[in-house]
Amino acid sequence: MATLTMQDVTKQFGRKVIAVKEFNLEVQDQEFLVLLGPSGCGKTTAMRMVAGLEEVTNGRILIGDRDVTDLPPRNRNVSMIFQNYAVWPHMTVFDNIGFALKLKKMPKDEIEKTVKEVAGMTNIDMLLERYPSQLSGGQQQRVAVARAIAVYPEIFLMDEPLSNLDAKLRVSMRTELKAIHDKTEATTVFVTHDQSEAMSMADRIVIMKDGEVIQVGSPDDVYHRSASIFVADFIGTPPTNFLEVDVKSENGDYRLVNPHVDFKPESHISESLRDYDKKNLILGIRPENIVLTNQKDAVLSAECLVSEPQGSHQVVAIQLDQQYIKVIASAQPKINPGETVHLAFKQDTLRLFDPETTLAIGD
Amino acid sequence: MAVAIGNKSFRNVWSKAIPYLLILPVVVYYALFWVRPVLKTVFESFRDTAGQFTLQNYAMVFSDPDFIPAVRNTAIIVVFSVTLEFLAALFLAILINRKFVGSSFFLFVAMVPMALPAVAVGAMWLTGLTAHGWLNSLLFYLGVSKKIYWLAGSEWALLAIIIIIDAWQVIPSVMIILLAGLQNIPVEAEEAGYVFGGNFITVLRKITIPMLQSTIQTAVILRLISAIQIWLIMVLLMGFNRLPVLVERIVYYHEEVPGLDISFQMASGYTIIVSVIVSIAALLYLKVSGAFGGNQEARQ
Repeated sequence: MATLTMQDVTKQFGRKVIAVKEFNLEVQDQEFLVLLGPSGCGKTTAMRMVAGLEEVTNGRILIGDRDVTDLPPRNRNVSMIFQNYAVWPHMTVFDNIGFALKLKKMPKDEIEKTVKEVAGMTNIDMLLERYPSQLSGGQQQRVAVARAIAVYPEIFLMDEPLSNLDAKLRVSMRTELKAIHDKTEATTVFVTHDQSEAMSMADRIVIMKDGEVIQVGSPDDVYHRSASIFVADFIGTPPTNFLEVDVKSENGDYRLVNPHVDFKPESHISESLRDYDKKNLILGIRPENIVLTNQKDAVLSAECLVSEPQGSHQVVAIQLDQQYIKVIASAQPKINPGETVHLAFKQDTLRLFDPETTLAIGD
Repeated sequence: MAVAIGNKSFRNVWSKAIPYLLILPVVVYYALFWVRPVLKTVFESFRDTAGQFTLQNYAMVFSDPDFIPAVRNTAIIVVFSVTLEFLAALFLAILINRKFVGSSFFLFVAMVPMALPAVAVGAMWLTGLTAHGWLNSLLFYLGVSKKIYWLAGSEWALLAIIIIIDAWQVIPSVMIILLAGLQNIPVEAEEAGYVFGGNFITVLRKITIPMLQSTIQTAVILRLISAIQIWLIMVLLMGFNRLPVLVERIVYYHEEVPGLDISFQMASGYTIIVSVIVSIAALLYLKVSGAFGGNQEARQ
């Protein structure tokens, strides 16, 4: 068990491509940290540098107090779960799990004890004599998990470990991985591009884009207090709705105005509007924070374009000019296409972004 | 009802016959151009000049004073050249697979010997190995002033030369096969090896080579068979009879002494013996390397 520290870590491929740029991160002991971002954002490269599979161009990596920047993978005391399982096809499940222990020259009976223990934890104790080709994808993934636990590492690295599983198995493996993390208490870095996976598993989420960290925070932080338009758009299904608005002042009060809406936001926002008088802003509001209301209280009224029933709720889409606004409404009453809906915003959930920097204002 | 059943069974027979009909052209081709000559050779090896059954041909082959040396030389060449070629090719394949700067150019250069026909290789080395050849010239420039009579050495020296030339020519093709196999191994399998405590040697021994097993089998078996069949290079460098090997004997009796009426019979006898040896060697190797069952699962 240990902390993981990355100081100004940069990775450059060739002369031009910078995969990870001055990456700074402090992972707490026993924390479950998720690196989240679209493909090509550098999250996997960042993790591979921690594993030692990728050389660091610049910066330091520390596990606890140990500087491991220049150590080969085998001396770092980390273990890793790979996206395509990477179990060895020519070894039995037992030999796969025991591989690292054998190399450590652990006595035979102790190897057997450890392998059986972790196999029990991952529910593959019936399969120890099998070869990977005789196992299903989910079982192979369990072998990869068991192999990673068996070495009792200081840092657990998981590189999109669930993305090769089918949708149902993926969700149940989430729960299992989380339970295993709670049991082993190993500091974990988990890489994914699936935001719902990140939200459901992480203690903290690191959102990356183009090799840089955009926001670090708890799932609630990144969801409710998104630091930029990118984060607000990337997190959540359906994503945040964005509206371009102008700031107008009227006897000391500020109003947010565009051809469709014209309203006076609550005071906690108007504070930060002072610097943006007569300027353009992007208003961000999450689909569940738009509520159906009556005509009198409506900020926005429009015709329903489509409604998507989801069982527990329905997603109502309206069209404003070229843009769709999605609203999550309760399942009843059912809203039909063509019906006019009157909408209001939950004021305390509004986020405003500067269109030039794309960053949130008022934090 | 009866008609319907008859119809059904006819359709059954027809659908079973279709695959056989489809492979019929190949079967005919093989029968005409492969089975027939093979059987003819087998028959010839058991017939005397008058066409009667005899074991005399084999008796003559076994009492040929060059038979035992031919078997011995062939065995030595096979063991040493296949081992040397395999190790060197594996080394090169691993090197090129690391994709360093210029590795594709290196691959191109390494493949040049593969493109040369055996006759060209023989001619090239013959001009190199004569007393005033390019090899001695090269050594002279490097400061070795004494001429080396390469082709005048002992039988062992000649064997060594053959093994080296064969390796020089064949390493690229073995390397290509192994390289293809290496590129089929998922990178993560080796990376997992490094993460879970392996260094370069342990990963190579416990992960890469076992996962390359079926490719290695293919490469070695192909080499084994063609190493048993080496002959042209020696004939080009040393002529017949200097360094007898099995296939050289066939050619010798068939081409060089056609005047004798037993020549064709001797050649047939040698041919059958070589075929049997090649088959046994191939089977033995496959058995030893575990290609027959055992850990089928191990190879995905």
